[in-house]
Amino acid sequence: MSFCPATYASVTLPTVEPTAHALNTFLASVERRAYRMAQIALRHEEDALDAVQDAMLQLARRYARRPSEEWRPIFYRILQNRIRDLQRRRAVRSRVLAFLPWGGEGEDDSDPVERAPDPAPGPAAEVEGGEIGVALQRAVSLLPARQREAFLLRNLEGLDVAETAAAMGCSEGSVKTHYSRAVHALREQLGEFMS
Amino acid sequence: MSNEQQQTPFERRAGEMLRDSADSLDAATRSRLTQARHAALEGISARPAWLDFRVLAPGGAVAAAAVVAVLMWTGPMQRPAGETGAFDDIELLADADAYEISQETDLDFIECAAAMGEQDVAGT
Repeated sequence: MSFCPATYASVTLPTVEPTAHALNTFLASVERRAYRMAQIALRHEEDALDAVQDAMLQLARRYARRPSEEWRPIFYRILQNRIRDLQRRRAVRSRVLAFLPWGGEGEDDSDPVERAPDPAPGPAAEVEGGEIGVALQRAVSLLPARQREAFLLRNLEGLDVAETAAAMGCSEGSVKTHYSRAVHALREQLGEFMS
Repeated sequence: MSNEQQQTPFERRAGEMLRDSADSLDAATRSRLTQARHAALEGISARPAWLDFRVLAPGGAVAAAAVVAVLMWTGPMQRPAGETGAFDDIELLADADAYEISQETDLDFIECAAAMGEQDVAGT
């Protein structure tokens, strides 16, 4: 029996080290923006860190051997799902608390963080205080979830429409609609300060 | 962004501000993100979870317990009546004559011959 060295040479076997190195580079390149995205959506730093860490773990365990060009939309898909899970958990927690005798007076089904009184002075005062960035983040965090996802994935992470659609699990047409509405809403609130 | 040319100044400005805020995270948060990344990378070289002994062992124990329970529930295997078993085969092999007889197809003739032999013995 004769072996053909050329055939064996052409076979590239997956190895752990190059994958780990490439994945490390990828995660390092997205982790800060991913954290900021989660923090704007959840308005809670610990929850944001948890969401990013879970997304990293899932990407590494399940998708590390997928082609590296697929990592970004997959990572953000996982992250968006995790953010939604955390928001859902908060809503369930508030519903449970509403049944308890010592709590829940006048509670509704919405996210307690969403219902928390906003101590911010509002966009105009923040802009006057030189905090236009804070005002922008606050305005983005108050957008409906899908609009916020589309706006952050496209504007913060820089995904194109197709990648954003893959990350959000919807059609490209939906991405355009959500993004357009988000921009319209933000411009109404902040346009005069950011022009 | 790949389609930056199509963006309005408002969108461009918003994108710049958001990216700046991401780049200016405090040191503690950056450190925790780095730790999270390293923890995630350790997951690549780890074996799949279903191959882990700690996962397999309870499943194996449950399966073994189920087999034992089934065996105890059904009791010892009963051989159907008339069926010859391995023990009978050993007896046949040990007795050369019996083995030869078992190979005969005309059992009526053998029984008849045996009866005649017994009558001869009784007659003598």
